[in-house]
Amino acid sequence: MEKDARPNWDSPMQFVLACVSYAIGLANVWRFPYLCQMHGGGSFLIPYLLMLFVEGVPLFYMELAVGQKMRLGSIGAWHAISPYLGGVGLASVVASLYICLYYNIINAWSFWYLFNSFQSVLPWSQCPVNANLTGPVEECQKASSTQYFFFRETLNISPMIEDTGGMQTSQVLCLLLAWAITYLFIIHGVKSSGKVVYFTATFPYVVLIIYLVRGLTLPGAINGIKYMFTPKLQELANPLTWINAATQIFYSLGLGSGSLIAFSSYNEYHNNFEHQAVIVALINSGTSIFASIVTFSIYGFKATVNYENCLERTRILLLNAFDLAEETISINNVFDWVIKLNASHPEQFAELGNKLEGCDLTTELDTAVEGVGLAFILYTEAIQNMPLPQIWSVLYFSMLLLLGMGTMLGNVTAITTPLRDFKFLAGVRTEVLNGTVCLVLMLLGLGFTTPSGNYWFSMFNDYAASLSLLFMVLIEIVIISYIYGIKSYIRGGAPTYQAWDKELGKTVLTNYSVFGQVFIGLLLASAVSCVPLTALHVYCRNRKHGDIKDEVRTESALSTRFTVIR
Amino acid sequence: MLGKLLFLLFLAHSSAEQLCTPGASNGYKVRLSIRTALGDEAYAWNNNEMFLFQATLAFAMRNHFDGQNFQVSNIIVCDETPRVSFWFVVTSPTNTSRLVDKDEVELAVRNSRNRINSAFLLTDRTLEFLGIASTLAAPLQPDTPPWLIAFGVVMGAVGAAFVILLASSIVQKKRKKKNTKEEDTEDMEDSDGETQAAVKRLENGNSRQEVGGISNVSFLDDERVTQM
Repeated sequence: MEKDARPNWDSPMQFVLACVSYAIGLANVWRFPYLCQMHGGGSFLIPYLLMLFVEGVPLFYMELAVGQKMRLGSIGAWHAISPYLGGVGLASVVASLYICLYYNIINAWSFWYLFNSFQSVLPWSQCPVNANLTGPVEECQKASSTQYFFFRETLNISPMIEDTGGMQTSQVLCLLLAWAITYLFIIHGVKSSGKVVYFTATFPYVVLIIYLVRGLTLPGAINGIKYMFTPKLQELANPLTWINAATQIFYSLGLGSGSLIAFSSYNEYHNNFEHQAVIVALINSGTSIFASIVTFSIYGFKATVNYENCLERTRILLLNAFDLAEETISINNVFDWVIKLNASHPEQFAELGNKLEGCDLTTELDTAVEGVGLAFILYTEAIQNMPLPQIWSVLYFSMLLLLGMGTMLGNVTAITTPLRDFKFLAGVRTEVLNGTVCLVLMLLGLGFTTPSGNYWFSMFNDYAASLSLLFMVLIEIVIISYIYGIKSYIRGGAPTYQAWDKELGKTVLTNYSVFGQVFIGLLLASAVSCVPLTALHVYCRNRKHGDIKDEVRTESALSTRFTVIR
Repeated sequence: MLGKLLFLLFLAHSSAEQLCTPGASNGYKVRLSIRTALGDEAYAWNNNEMFLFQATLAFAMRNHFDGQNFQVSNIIVCDETPRVSFWFVVTSPTNTSRLVDKDEVELAVRNSRNRINSAFLLTDRTLEFLGIASTLAAPLQPDTPPWLIAFGVVMGAVGAAFVILLASSIVQKKRKKKNTKEEDTEDMEDSDGETQAAVKRLENGNSRQEVGGISNVSFLDDERVTQM
């Protein structure tokens, strides 16, 4: 009798922290700063905050309301509202399934980097030596040591998505660990998650504050901050700015995936979620802005270091080519000397040709990076130049892990909660159900540990949950999300991805092959089609029952409610 | 006589100069970056330092060729620049007009590279022999990769957490079972006593008000009633 009663959060605080922990994930750290940079720095805050209040808070409020009042997971809740809308819940679960599959591989990578931080020399700070010990490995020399470590030593990436290979043992082990910890967190459902979120929601802030202090005291940080906050108001005229603001709010808050419905279904019936919705949404946006200050000070530092290294290389090049004494050219008058030497020895200068690289601080700052590249390549590049890099590295990757794990809690709960609501699974113990879900998802996720795994990851990241989530909230609330969301997917040309070319030592834009495009179509169709198919199924079933269909519908809806609540 | 001597000396000097030219096929260019390496403690480059260079290189050649006594005069230097870079060639001690092969010089330098560097307080990067690649240190391969150790620690902690959770849930279950068994036996005793009372009150009604709710005892002690 007690087993079937719906478990609750120990306190409303746990629920708020769970929502915060779920909503504040890696996207706050690696997507928002990129959008800020792309769309004119400080002026991006205007569409962002506007969208927060027009779109974010109302949708968030609605999802919490649905979950709390229906006291069911997404499938049951939408089915209870109207049997025709049961497909919406099912589509949410499918989207959450895809998210769970690919999201934990990021946690696996974070673990890998975390474990590799416990060395006297960080492995991504120098290129390994080649076979005959004469110099660094060629691929590493053409790219950079951080890129080489990520693409070759971590992923062992293949040239194209079609080229698969065996699974990387190191990645498999890290993925296993990530799923083991996820299972440990959700083993007793909300009873265990509720305690874990105290830590996963608060510790990232500790690290962010430490990094803020560290970041602002780095040389050159101010360049990055100035660059970010200089508003370019003409960007507001660009419709893409508003579209990106809307989609960022949408995905950042985690709307449509069923996790919020699942979380709030464990609330007391009369919990005051109005205030909680506003609080969580504000915390989420505030954290995004806070994290972007940290990211931009790191950007500024990295750009300054690279710029100074470039100047040094140019200086050495000039000294060696013209055999001048070392004291003649200092790092400050490199450019003056370039002009002087070009004037006095034009032929010799021309011979230098392409060896002479133009050094420009703005170009270095302009290298806007988002996503995995920001987290694992750019940040590690900055960290290796800090004093005591091991400590900073450990702190940073622990933060990434907690952000990722917090979001995984929500993602997996979005799947287990509707499953628990089904009659035939009501008898299964929580631990066994959650364990089976985690095991199945882990086995399916092993595909991301192959050499082409990063390309599959990118595909899932771009297509698996994005359009289907928007479509679902389109059904939930029609007008605004539809116009802004669909427009960003009507792109010209075939879908593309960034493939790593090991001869060139950089990523190149490649079209998906036919196989890849078919798979993308399947991803999009599988979630989206749940809605019309379920509606069709219910319609046909009701028509079969003819005149007594009204009675049957009311009865079946009522009986479903009573059976699952118990 | 003196004129002949002077002429011969001049010839020797010029032939030596002709042996060493920038871009000589058997020569190497050397480049030193003293200020980059030593900063404020940099020493000035002068003839004495050049003498040291010739001496160290002669030492390297002697180490490479067992038995041949290379002298400082066998190392011929030319085209010195303010950068501190110059060309050098090595002549054979047995025949001063013959140059030692480029490859032999390379091997000699590579073998004694550390000693040459330390003589000048420089490194492979700041004392460059253009064309002679430096032998980099072999990478240190530990038996277990360090990441695996950290992974093992964390995985062990997770495993321990699972075991603890499992053990605590089993202990809790056993405790609950013991409690419910005690309650059951209490209940049974109670129900015997209560049945007696209920039998007496059966005329008043078939149900009895308890603290928790209404318990219908009329079916409980059916046997007793029937027997009676």
